[in-house]
Amino acid sequence: MSLLELKSISKIYGDLHALDNVSLKVEKGEWVAIMGPSGSGKSTMMNIIGCMDKPTSGQVLLDGVDISKESDRNLTAIRRDKIGLIFQQFHLVNYLTALENVMVAQYYHSVPDEAEAMEALRRVGLADRAKHLPSQLSGGEQQRVCIARALINYPELILADEPTGNLDEANENIVLEIFRQLHAEGTTLVVVTHDPEVGEVAQRTVVLEYGKITREIHNESFEAKTAPALAEARN
Amino acid sequence: MFFRMIRGAFVRQKGKMLMIALTIALGASLATAMLNVMLDVGDKINQELKTYGANITVVPKSSSVLNNLYEVEGGEEAQEAFLREDELGKIKTIFWAFNIVDFAPFIDTTADLDSGEEVRLVGTWFNHHLDLPTGEMLDTGVANLRTWWDISDGVWLDEQAESDPNAAMIGAMVARREGVGAGDTLHVKTRYGEADLKVVGVFDAGSDEDEEIYAPMDLVQALSDTDGYLTSIEVSALTTPDNELAIKAAKDPSALSVSQYETWYCTAYVSSICYQIQEVITDSVASPVRQVADSEGAILEKTEFLMVLITILSLVGSGLGICNLVTASVMERSNEIGLLKAIGAKDSAISGIVLTEIVLTGIVGAVIGYFVGFGFAQIIGHTVFGSSIEMKAMVIPIVAMLTVAVTLAGSIPAIRMLLRLRPAEVLHGR
Amino acid sequence: MTKQKMFLRMITASLVRRRSRMLVALLAIAVGATILSGLVTIYYDVPRQMGAEFRNYGANMILVPSGNDAAFNMDAVEETLGYIKPDQLVGVAPYRYETVRIHEQPIVAAGTDMEGAKATSPYWHINGAWPDAAGDILLGQKVADQLGLKPGDTLTVSYAAEEAEPAAEPKTDAQAGETNRLDAASQAEGQEESGADEAQTTGEDYVPDASLDMMVTGILETGGSEEEYVYLSMEDLNGLTGGSDKLDVVELSVSADQSELKQYGSDIENNVDDVTPRLVKRVTESESTVLTKLQALVFLVTAVVLVLTMICVATTMTAAVTERRKEIGLRKALGASNRSIIGEFMGEGLLLGGVGGLIGAGLGFAFAQAVSMKVFNSSITFQPLLLPVTIVVSVLVAGCACLLPVKSATEVDPAVVLKGE
Repeated sequence: MSLLELKSISKIYGDLHALDNVSLKVEKGEWVAIMGPSGSGKSTMMNIIGCMDKPTSGQVLLDGVDISKESDRNLTAIRRDKIGLIFQQFHLVNYLTALENVMVAQYYHSVPDEAEAMEALRRVGLADRAKHLPSQLSGGEQQRVCIARALINYPELILADEPTGNLDEANENIVLEIFRQLHAEGTTLVVVTHDPEVGEVAQRTVVLEYGKITREIHNESFEAKTAPALAEARN
Repeated sequence: MFFRMIRGAFVRQKGKMLMIALTIALGASLATAMLNVMLDVGDKINQELKTYGANITVVPKSSSVLNNLYEVEGGEEAQEAFLREDELGKIKTIFWAFNIVDFAPFIDTTADLDSGEEVRLVGTWFNHHLDLPTGEMLDTGVANLRTWWDISDGVWLDEQAESDPNAAMIGAMVARREGVGAGDTLHVKTRYGEADLKVVGVFDAGSDEDEEIYAPMDLVQALSDTDGYLTSIEVSALTTPDNELAIKAAKDPSALSVSQYETWYCTAYVSSICYQIQEVITDSVASPVRQVADSEGAILEKTEFLMVLITILSLVGSGLGICNLVTASVMERSNEIGLLKAIGAKDSAISGIVLTEIVLTGIVGAVIGYFVGFGFAQIIGHTVFGSSIEMKAMVIPIVAMLTVAVTLAGSIPAIRMLLRLRPAEVLHGR
Repeated sequence: MTKQKMFLRMITASLVRRRSRMLVALLAIAVGATILSGLVTIYYDVPRQMGAEFRNYGANMILVPSGNDAAFNMDAVEETLGYIKPDQLVGVAPYRYETVRIHEQPIVAAGTDMEGAKATSPYWHINGAWPDAAGDILLGQKVADQLGLKPGDTLTVSYAAEEAEPAAEPKTDAQAGETNRLDAASQAEGQEESGADEAQTTGEDYVPDASLDMMVTGILETGGSEEEYVYLSMEDLNGLTGGSDKLDVVELSVSADQSELKQYGSDIENNVDDVTPRLVKRVTESESTVLTKLQALVFLVTAVVLVLTMICVATTMTAAVTERRKEIGLRKALGASNRSIIGEFMGEGLLLGGVGGLIGAGLGFAFAQAVSMKVFNSSITFQPLLLPVTIVVSVLVAGCACLLPVKSATEVDPAVVLKGE
């Protein structure tokens, strides 16, 4: 069974068909990039997968559960338990430290555990910045805090919306490296992006145009690229 | 473009601008209500204090100097000085005529009752209707000057409705001693005549007035052969609390300089009103009743002062409130200001746009607030005093200035702070 | 770490690290609470303070002898005062009226306690000084005019017993000249004055029993009948007349409302044999009328100011919360339930309300105290109940002001909030 399955979903705003009869399957442990220009329906798709929106028609199965008919309340619970979100604008709580921002996710999920949160920050290489406020961190660092926060509850699926959109190249590489690492550990990743470089590093790239999937690319050189980049990041 | 941006701000940020306008309107209405009430409270309380009765008494000149205590023995009355009844209307023609709320003339004599007791018989106006030379009409008399009388039996004598010229009101002590009540008749006899008084009401005054009989002016004048004459006049006037000048003037008006004299004469001090009454009533001495005049002054001053302080508190409160909100709303726009700066707007241009927006909002709020506040003032006036609060023109500029000052004070420091930030900082992360 | 600890950690972080924004909200609440506690304190204290001002009008209760022939002395007065709360008693002035002769003119002399007279009749204008030693005398304005005396002059007061002890006879028209009498002292005066008339009519054979040289310290101006008397100390008058310590009337100035005064009146009437209390209606009735209005005024003003201030506080709080819609959206995206978000924001709002209320209660009392000292020259009574009330009201207002915007923010889709700006 696939972890995520979209069965011919459509999202219609008035006359606009943001998504038009789209079907997609994401297997457990897969790294999928969803690409497309602005207005192609990426964000709508991301919102639907992230349980923040419901399709006008069609079914969304997450871990075998149809989430397209769930109430808002249940969607919140599903999102909390199964999905880790990473945003383009990072969206950190600006008056909480890096560590506390990670702990907020724990707090809503189950019980805050400072040591575990610290460990998550260490994984993204921010152990020494744990007590800093978002305003004291660089964009890349903020995004890494955001990733640590997304990871902390061991979600089934990490959903990233333009994770490198606000970052310079060096930071972009660091983030991508963390994704590779996560993938290596078996985490399922769905990355929404318009950046071909980010799309290319994924296992599979789905191209969305005018609300429809027009192409699907399987990245053959995927495994080969992993090792050197990882080594680079660790230096 | 400037106007387009401002219009844009209003349309797009409708909710926020509405919130600011609402808060400013609240503050302005508070300021309007409090200022209007504060400026009018003196007059209102002054009116209320009239319940204590007359604050000026007018007596004939000779009697005031050589008091008549020892000369009123029967038969000597001819020597006594009197005031003239036909001059009474002139009291309402003095400079401060408008401040004369009520007055009542008195003529008194003594009368013998059938029981052999001697009582003081007082002739006066109860609710006398007066057509003044100025065309005004006035109902005045003891009904207004003795509000504390408790009518224990019967009713107040209504001069205008009462057809019996011998109607009278008697004090509670007299009523008890003579065993008469409302509806009974009481025979009185003086040196010059006698009359059967029809008792309309019995009053309990809690003072020596309980030993007296009050009857219409004409009747008592006839019974004492003093037609057209009065022994005293009580005047109830709205006055301004005394100050140094008034105290100095009260001692001797001629000691004042010309300008001081003018100020004094044209201010409603009790002493200047007394002076003006003396000018129109021949051979009279008008003197303030210290017990009433002084206490009035003290209470008026305290009440006004109290209201001033409460007003200041509420003004400071609403000022801080508005300032607060304006600062918060400007701070919130850091992104927009950063962006404007990034695309090359000059500091002055940015400040101009933001300030114009806020001040425009403030003016809209202030106008609404003024009318709402005026409504609040009227509610207070009608509920407490049963009359409307006068609309004071000076409140408008005060409220306008206050609103503008407060909005500027709230926005300028915030704008300056935002301008000091570098655009990159504002736009990238917080 | 427990959830509660994290909850507190987030709230304190929000309060401490968003310092300037929080100060704005706190300031708004504190200002509101200051106005609340200040005005309510003033509202409660105004009747008392203003009541004291109304004592300017002088005595509101007088004691006269029970029955025509009865007399009473200070012992009966002391007994009477036992029925009145000491802190409400503004002044007690005993008066004894006797007819004396000054410059061969019969004049009514009142013996009194000058300190008491000062307290019960604050409206007396003295040109010169109050008498403060034996042998000092205060002349009424009319007496001074009649005798041509001014402060600093000396005079001789003489007294003849048979002249001053008339039989209890009906009142004569001696009173007729009085225009502005308030007190029932007239009964006694009437007798004395009729004595004076008698003396005048009995002619030249006046032989004083005693005489006293006195110095005029001041001239009394009131615009009322007091100007027709001279005032000297009780000791001097008793010395002059020889022995007797009877009183004709005692004026009391009591800082109490009409119903309380009536209660005192009936207590005294029922328990003290020698004296009959009477309320000075003009003063008590008018005082209750005016005081009621004043209290209504302060009440309404307080109500209007409070309502407007509270709305002002609420809009500021609302603005402070609305500003954080994005944060609310983020928390929702992270999987927070609406309940827990509302809980966190309310926690902050309530904490702010509590702290603001506490600060405001203190400042408000300070303000009321300052007003009281400035306006009435006396300190205000602290209403202990007002502290919790102010805090509770502040918390409620802050809470309600938070609740609405937080609720509306939680209803918005997190995606919309996070995407937009």
